[in-house]
Amino acid sequence: MDTSVFRLDGVTKRYGDLVALDNASLEAGANEYISFLGPSGSGKTTLLRVIAGFEAPEAGRVFFNGRDITNLPAHERGIGFVFQNFALFPHLTVIQNVGFGLTHGKSGLSAAEIERRSLEMIELVGLSGMEGRGVDQISGGQRQRVALARTLTMHPKLVLLDEPLGALDANLRSRMRTELRAIRERLGVTFVHVTGSENEALAMGDRVVVLDRGRIIQTGTPGEVYDSPASPDVAHFLNRFNLFDGNLSGGRFNGVFGSVPVPRSVRSDRDVYAVRYDRMRALPVSADAAGPAIKARFVASEYLGSSMMNFFEAEDGHVIEMEHHLSLGTPQTFEARQDYLLTWNPEQAIVFGREASR
Amino acid sequence: MESRILKPALGLYVALFVLFLYGPFVVLTIISFQQGPEGGPQFPIIEWSTYWYRHIFGLTPPSRIAPLPFGEALLRSLVLAFMTMVVSTVLGVMSAQAFRRKFKGSGVVFYLIVLGMMVPGVLTGLGTSLLANNVIGIERHWYTTAFATHVAYTFPFAFLVMLAILNRFDASVEEASWSLGVDPWTTFRKVTFPLIFPGVLSAMLFAFTLSLDEFPRTLFASGRDQTLPLAIYGTFSVEIHPNIFAFGVLTTLFSFALLSVYGLLMAMSVRRARKMAMQEDIA
Amino acid sequence: MSSQISIQKRQSKTTRWLLAPGIIWMSLFLVVPILMIVYVSFWTQTTFNISPDPTLASWKQFFSSDTYTGSLWTTVRIWLIVLACTFVVGYPTALFVGLFVKSKTLSTVLLVICVIPFWTSFLIRVLAWRPMLGKEGAINIVLLKLGIIQQPIEVLLFTELSVIIGMTQIYCVFMVGPIAFMLSRIDRNIIEAARDLGAGFGRIFWKIIFPLSLPGVVVGAIFVSVMVLGEFATSGALSGRKVNLLGNIIVTQVGSLKWAMASVVGVILTVVMGIVIAGFLRIVDLKREL
Repeated sequence: MDTSVFRLDGVTKRYGDLVALDNASLEAGANEYISFLGPSGSGKTTLLRVIAGFEAPEAGRVFFNGRDITNLPAHERGIGFVFQNFALFPHLTVIQNVGFGLTHGKSGLSAAEIERRSLEMIELVGLSGMEGRGVDQISGGQRQRVALARTLTMHPKLVLLDEPLGALDANLRSRMRTELRAIRERLGVTFVHVTGSENEALAMGDRVVVLDRGRIIQTGTPGEVYDSPASPDVAHFLNRFNLFDGNLSGGRFNGVFGSVPVPRSVRSDRDVYAVRYDRMRALPVSADAAGPAIKARFVASEYLGSSMMNFFEAEDGHVIEMEHHLSLGTPQTFEARQDYLLTWNPEQAIVFGREASR
Repeated sequence: MESRILKPALGLYVALFVLFLYGPFVVLTIISFQQGPEGGPQFPIIEWSTYWYRHIFGLTPPSRIAPLPFGEALLRSLVLAFMTMVVSTVLGVMSAQAFRRKFKGSGVVFYLIVLGMMVPGVLTGLGTSLLANNVIGIERHWYTTAFATHVAYTFPFAFLVMLAILNRFDASVEEASWSLGVDPWTTFRKVTFPLIFPGVLSAMLFAFTLSLDEFPRTLFASGRDQTLPLAIYGTFSVEIHPNIFAFGVLTTLFSFALLSVYGLLMAMSVRRARKMAMQEDIA
Repeated sequence: MSSQISIQKRQSKTTRWLLAPGIIWMSLFLVVPILMIVYVSFWTQTTFNISPDPTLASWKQFFSSDTYTGSLWTTVRIWLIVLACTFVVGYPTALFVGLFVKSKTLSTVLLVICVIPFWTSFLIRVLAWRPMLGKEGAINIVLLKLGIIQQPIEVLLFTELSVIIGMTQIYCVFMVGPIAFMLSRIDRNIIEAARDLGAGFGRIFWKIIFPLSLPGVVVGAIFVSVMVLGEFATSGALSGRKVNLLGNIIVTQVGSLKWAMASVVGVILTVVMGIVIAGFLRIVDLKREL
């Protein structure tokens, strides 16, 4: 018995010679919050559009509620979709937008019932009192809520959100993040959220799906993805790792920082040594580092509220980032254009290699 | 851009150009106020009068000059233009809608449609009358054969206008509607159509104007009953009187009235378009 | 489940239904009529009747008659002259409206001014040239008053010249519109950059502005050519039947029920038309310019 809300089975989609989706398979349970993370062009939006029925895949099947919906047109799927630009109906008011699906779809409800449900949903997203306004008379954040309310009135089991926060300013974005989660938990529906921001993906998803060049390259909880990225590419997208090229042989990694013993490694098509930003430490250039070390010049630092990012430039021009969580004490201060010795505990590094021990 | 000499020179040129464009119309207006019924369609003006305007409406005492036989012709032309407008706009919207999706043979279909505005009216008219008169053997009428040629002429214009409008149309509002469980046809009626309505109005205006003034196709493809351009053409062969000029002035004024109605409708739907534009700004 | 129609198939079915009425209409009322002209041009014509027995008689008659072949050359000549005139008259105007006028409102107003004359019936606009060009017409009156001429110019009306003046005035707006449109799309920064590099206006015009406006010129030329080649009313009304275009021949032949000859002239006009349009479309892909 199929208990998943939706399942993708080897979905492939091409645009001419360009492969937008390459044999993507995925399963999502009920009441889950899934984030799709990937750079632009990774196929994440295409995947969402295939699930919604806006695009037809060349190969593979899409299942929803245990039913093959690959050939079902979008309006018969019952899957909600929230657009990046909101795609509100500009000629209608807020309440007409929210009640649109019930009014013009196959709900069969009376006008009074539609109005009641629409008002209820407007209240849920916190827009009471705005129902009579035109959608050009409300702010960006409010439009986002209308877009959400419009989708949720249809009681879909699955809501797809295409970079829903991308059009909002930073302040509003973080508030909407919390609200999206709260609304979803209240209604118990599955959300699939596409984003290009690793912060958003890690913060919002119960599960993160990482895509690259049309392929799903890792699926897991934010913790799993964050702590053990499946490939150098994933580590790169997470934007939290310093990556060093080199080569792995005989249980040692040889890179610009010298030769380091590698207790365990992850199989990959190339040899990459990854150290998380917050695992880096800086010593005076004259110090004697016990483990791996690399000489780098301090360039700049950036205050991020809860942490401090320091940027160094190695002799080969490679930028190395070091994050200091402010909860762990006052940060070190560095002098501009001075050389430091950067080091880390090799136990905490993640190593990818063709010769893997795992 | 050499604006000291070139721009004023070009400005002066444009003024002369406008004079060239309007010269005949000015002369036409002046002569329409020629004295009647003796005054002819030429200078000098014997005496200013509104005789020929009154003559059109039969308000002058009977004279040797017969009133213009335009009444019924005008009515026919208006009905024909209305029919043409409706059909070619519907066809234009449908075809342009189809062109939003890539399909095989789109180039051939595109040129088949655009051919309608590229083939001279004499040829379409001649061909249609051959087909009706000699090959099939049916009678030609303004509301059958001429109507068919009118649509074949105005449909490409409506199609191109709608194509330009739909090229700029943001399809995500339609997808939003589908994802709310609304079928494509209802989506078209409730979302797409209201939003492309300004374009539809332009297409209608195009079709109506072109059909109203269409002459070569109608000359061949319509039967005994004349449309307005045919009636005007009929006066060419006999002696011309200033009443035809007065009639020209009146139809121009009527056109302006029509244009104002269009402008009003446009202004009303521009408000919607502006809403749409504001939404796009966010994206 | 696999028996369901796929989304693509359903979409292409919708596309077919949307296109079908337009395709059918154009085939039936445009393509078939033109084929009819070709077909009937080989029919046998007798004085009062026409029968579908194939013959080349009408074709032979066309090419052996000076009147007919002469009208072919007159048509081509008038077309070329009017095309050149509309371009010469229209291009500077388009240059001003599309490139020199910076205010969008002003350029819209100018374009509307150009379009307003179209609200007068085409035939009345043609007719209005008579009191303009005649011996006692407006132009002669003005020129006499100004003392530029002593005797009224008589060649203005009922000559080839009057046909050319009339057609230029009626059709030049079709040249102005597309060119102004293409000019308004030129990125002003390119021109500024060229000026910063020291290029004079003449050089900028020939190297940048003119090439970029060429698609507009071609579209305008197609419009003008289509209309001028199929003309017969202007030449009929302003030349006093001295200028006979192919269109005039068709009208007179149909008037005397000589359908086969009218068809021959029709086919020749179609061929001329086809060559002209194909030639222009080689320079510019119409579909891409939209």
